Amino acid sequence: MSTPTPRASSAATGSSARPVFLRILKWGGLLSLAIAVIGGVVGFLVDSERGLVSALVGTAMAILFTGLTAASILVANRFSGTDFFTAIFFAVVMGAWIVKFAIFLVLVFLLRDQPWINPVVMFLCIIAGVLGSLIVDVVVVATSRMSYASDVKLPGE
Amino acid sequence: MDATTVLAEINGNIATVGYGLAAIGPAIGVGIVVGKTIEGVARQPELAGRLQVLMYIGIAFTEALAFIGIATYFIFV
Repeated sequence: MSTPTPRASSAATGSSARPVFLRILKWGGLLSLAIAVIGGVVGFLVDSERGLVSALVGTAMAILFTGLTAASILVANRFSGTDFFTAIFFAVVMGAWIVKFAIFLVLVFLLRDQPWINPVVMFLCIIAGVLGSLIVDVVVVATSRMSYASDVKLPGE
Repeated sequence: MDATTVLAEINGNIATVGYGLAAIGPAIGVGIVVGKTIEGVARQPELAGRLQVLMYIGIAFTEALAFIGIATYFIFV
């Protein structure tokens, strides 16, 4: 008699959300390229190389830190089916969130007084990156196709 | 006689207080979003995927507020 091998339950794993988060990361990356190009050109016109570097660093910071939430959810979903999935999920997502803000704070304090940074250009690029990523998030989620009972496990499975 | 008397003196950058204020809102917001998601998943585990996506949207909007609040350090002296 063969004993049934324990299989990772799809219920409560959120694995059906994976394509949505991958699309969010993909479109967020493309948006960051667009903002980097436009911001870089405008920054260069405003303050030559200083403006260009500030725009690139600002865009990179905004997209990296906003995209980290989706990436952390994807990483946390790898633990789906384990006994402590809920605890691990929220520990990974919230842990990444708090570490991200600590690093962002330190970067802001360090970069502001650097001679090769134009604070206004950098600030505007961060705002553009954050607002742009919000738009991408909403559009991707609004156009995503997920069944209502997304991770249901049928009897006998 | 001097008309004003100094009772207390505060030194340092007032922007520190600004960061503290900017942290309160997102902290409460993310706490509510995550707490309600846990509640929802506990009630209906089969909805975990949808709830994760909705939680992400809630976190994204809340953290945008924090990012903008912290980044104002670049323009406010």
